[in-house]
Amino acid sequence: MNNNMIKITDLEKYYRTEEVETIALNKLSIEVKEGEFVAVMGPSGCGKSTLLNILGLLDDADGGSFVFNGIEVAGYNERKRADLRKRNIGFVFQSFNLIDELTVFENVELPLIYNNVKAADRKKRVEEVLDNLKIMHRRNHYPQQLSGGQQQRVAVARAVVNSPKLILADEPTGNLDSSNGNEVMQLLTELNEKGTTIVMVTHSEHDARYSHRIIRMLDGHSVTENILI
Amino acid sequence: MLINYFKIAFRNLWRNRQFTFINVGGLALGIAVFLFIIQYVAFEWNANRFNKNYNTLCRVNVLTKQGVAEYYLPPGFAQPVKQQIPAIENAVRLADRIGGGVLSYKGQSESENKTFREDNISYAEGNFLSVFSFPVLSGTPSLAEPKTLALSETISRKIFGTADAAGKTLMVSNQFGNTLYTVKAVYHLPETSDINPEVILSLHTLENAANRDGNDWADPNGTDAALTNIYLQLKKDANISNTGKAITNFLHSVNPASKDETIILQPFSQLHLAPSFDYPLQTYGSLLLVTLFSAVAVLILLIAWVNYINLSTAQALNRAREVGVRKVLGAARTQLVVQYLTETLLLTLSASAFAVLLVYIFQNLFNDFTGKQLSMHILNVGWFWAIGIILIAVGSFLSGSYVAFVLTAFNPISTIRGKLQTSLRGIALRKGLVVFQFTISIVFIIATVILYRQLKFMQSENLGMKLDELLVIQGPTVSSEDQAAKNVSFKNSLTQLPFVKKQAASNNVPGIGYNFSANGITKLNNPLKGDDKKSYSMFICDQNFFDTYGIQLLQGRGFTADEAERSWNNIHSVIVNEKAAKELGFNPKENIIGQKIKWGADFEIVGVVKDYHHLSLRETIQPTIYLSSVSYSFFTVQTETKDMQSKLGTIRKLYNSAFPGNPFEYFFANEKYNQQYVSEQKLGSVFIAAASVAILIACMGLFGLVAFSARQRIKEIGIRKVLGASVFSITQLLSKDFLKLVAVAFVIASPVAWYAMNKWLQDFAYRISISWWVFALAGIAALFIALLTVSFQAIKSAVANPVKSLQTE
Ligand SMILES: Nc1ncnc2c1ncn2[C@@H]1O[C@H](COP(=O)(O)OP(=O)(O)O)[C@@H](O)[C@H]1O
Ligand SMILES: [Mg+2]
Repeated sequence: MNNNMIKITDLEKYYRTEEVETIALNKLSIEVKEGEFVAVMGPSGCGKSTLLNILGLLDDADGGSFVFNGIEVAGYNERKRADLRKRNIGFVFQSFNLIDELTVFENVELPLIYNNVKAADRKKRVEEVLDNLKIMHRRNHYPQQLSGGQQQRVAVARAVVNSPKLILADEPTGNLDSSNGNEVMQLLTELNEKGTTIVMVTHSEHDARYSHRIIRMLDGHSVTENILI
Repeated sequence: MLINYFKIAFRNLWRNRQFTFINVGGLALGIAVFLFIIQYVAFEWNANRFNKNYNTLCRVNVLTKQGVAEYYLPPGFAQPVKQQIPAIENAVRLADRIGGGVLSYKGQSESENKTFREDNISYAEGNFLSVFSFPVLSGTPSLAEPKTLALSETISRKIFGTADAAGKTLMVSNQFGNTLYTVKAVYHLPETSDINPEVILSLHTLENAANRDGNDWADPNGTDAALTNIYLQLKKDANISNTGKAITNFLHSVNPASKDETIILQPFSQLHLAPSFDYPLQTYGSLLLVTLFSAVAVLILLIAWVNYINLSTAQALNRAREVGVRKVLGAARTQLVVQYLTETLLLTLSASAFAVLLVYIFQNLFNDFTGKQLSMHILNVGWFWAIGIILIAVGSFLSGSYVAFVLTAFNPISTIRGKLQTSLRGIALRKGLVVFQFTISIVFIIATVILYRQLKFMQSENLGMKLDELLVIQGPTVSSEDQAAKNVSFKNSLTQLPFVKKQAASNNVPGIGYNFSANGITKLNNPLKGDDKKSYSMFICDQNFFDTYGIQLLQGRGFTADEAERSWNNIHSVIVNEKAAKELGFNPKENIIGQKIKWGADFEIVGVVKDYHHLSLRETIQPTIYLSSVSYSFFTVQTETKDMQSKLGTIRKLYNSAFPGNPFEYFFANEKYNQQYVSEQKLGSVFIAAASVAILIACMGLFGLVAFSARQRIKEIGIRKVLGASVFSITQLLSKDFLKLVAVAFVIASPVAWYAMNKWLQDFAYRISISWWVFALAGIAALFIALLTVSFQAIKSAVANPVKSLQTE
């Protein structure tokens, strides 16, 4: 329980465009322990999404160290990162990011396909997850036929179907009304109680209270950490 | 404001250099092909228009009862008709090409002497040059006097260099003997003239029997031999069809035998291109071809524009958000449209400039294909410049507007959020177009492969004779008395040469032709009914011919030296090939030596040769009868190819002393033989060019479609990648649909290509069978090319960082 799942030290990330260079992360250091539920807060543009992308191995840093599960991954190439990512990490986005052309079932099934799970196993696991999240009756619907809350449930289902060790959520309730938002937070809490580590970016103090600890960022730095429990 | 539009347009195009480059390239290619084709169409349109009498000239045709039109007519009617019909201003007779032979010029000194063969020599009426308004460079344009001639600029330069030819004398040796002519004029032969003699001899020369060397059929007052084309220049106000009727009536009155025939006057404006597809008279050009090519030109331009639209809309989708934002901020739609049109204008201008550059680079190659001296200047005639520019301008405007309107019509909110509704119909249309383009590409690939296989088959098939190391020397044209004795002594002197391994003389050679064909030849005993109707090819050669050409003797013997030196009417022996033996009714398996045949007189079969391909494999092997005679036109020498220059020097000396006044001309038997396939080789190059252009354009189309679809699915690709999809699986996902399109194209193209090429192959007596692997090969090639095109874009999308595509929320 006390092992570090994530340990980043002096992490740096720059964005260079033709005209300007933006420092998105400036010598940022944080740790996340296995089983923790951490909320990241801060004003818009302070680097929260950038941090999440790097933690999710979607992007690489320009400097500093990133130890994931005890392994230094800062120098990993695209293929190694993709491999590590698909086995260990699930994502939940503010805008759900479901594929419009696929049904609920097919959307949730995707990570299993990419992890080479056999068809029979896939069916079992997808149904299990849909059942747990109470959207089984919507399995053959397309995303546009669902409400926002239901779509986010499907996104959560897709994030957890592969039993990842880490779930990264970028403003998961940002597009939802408060009752749907609370439901999603409830879901994340349950997942966390079953042992999944969660890092969540949010603007809402209310949602942040579901977490164990809040990291506050400003201009690419971490400024304070509030421990809630 | 305008400057600002251009500045922004340029910046946008520059930022998307790759897209811009491909777009400009595709458009330039389409425009370049279009320009080439309208050059050709303009050239065809412009034929004969240089003629000052274009509107009053016509050609006389006779329409027979069966509806066949003939424009080679007996010369004798021309003058009586002209005298009878007042509407006729001038009548011009032209005996096309019958004067071919050797020109020789004796100058002041030995070094000025020139002797060479020229086939394009015609006899014409005295007023020919002025009526046909060939520009006269020196001398006077009248050939009214007998024994006068006019030279084209090219021939004049060849003989006299820069000196003035007018007034000089030239010896012309042709089928009408050796006649000395005075040069009256040098003319420029316009490229667009359908009537294009290099040397024009006065037709009036032949009025004197002494200048005909016994060929009385060529008498210009004769009314039997149809040897001339007759052109009439009508008076300005004359009605062409009434004049035709008047001539018909006149001819019926003087020659009742011609009752079933009608005279039709063909206006000069219809001499090259017919006014309609069912035109009964012959033309020099082909309306069908010109129409077909014009359609192809417009089609290619159309395809280029659609490809351009595909690429541009795909690329513009990247900017849909920008457009949405601008609209929210209050940009009027017209401003946005003008912005996009400015970009289109810039693109089109650079594509046009690039196209003109391409045309200049490939002009010579294209002229080799067409055999015409085409250039951009040709578009100066008629309205071709205007038509070209208007088509290109309208095309750019329409396609540019389409892109602009599609993009600016989007709902600003949904474009800002990256959601773009697409019309399914639009996609289906684009897919259809790509299928169409690939169908054409695959047809051309298959056609090219089959054509080259047939060509290779014809060139590598065992001909039944050996043409290597055979040097053929053309016999003398300028004949003299005791020609036979001179032929024999030249032949013998060749045998004496140390480097000559074998030697033969004949009246024609393989690859050029036989001597004549004849019927009325039968077995002497018990011929079957109808045997006398069968036709045989007759070939005259000496005792060494079969041995020198490696033709196998199956039975009996070849000719003897004695037989080979006899004169024409003193022959009693013949040799036949297997086909002829069968055709005559003999069993070719049995010995037929000593059997007699009847062809007027009796002849004895002394030998049978194995069938061989005397002419190209397009032709079936003809039943052939070989005769021996001393009338030789070709001397064949077998010698190793090394030191050819010095060997040729030696032979030339022998030739010049044996046949003074004749040009020494030679060729190699195998090269001559292969020249029979020049048209296939040319067609092959045309196919390769067409296939390349078709493939390039098809790839542009496919590229645009893939880019468009990849852009549309960018978010889906991002999500899949986040969920663990590999680059390979994304590439596969994007490529699959497009490769299906190529497969559909293949299914359509195969039967089309099979049908067309099967039809083409029917022209060849000996031909390959079309094997299935040719189709497989073409299919795989097309698939491979498509895969390269698709995967370029697909991989690019697949390796893109998903963070970026998901951020656009
Ligand atoms: N792809 C990018 N290119 C350039 N700058 C970027 C890019 N992504 C983010 N940035 C910049 O990096 C900074 C941090 O962005 P981000 O991590 O998205 O902030 P947050 O999620 O906290 O709002 C911002 O200034 C943003 O403008
Ligand atoms: Mg963010």
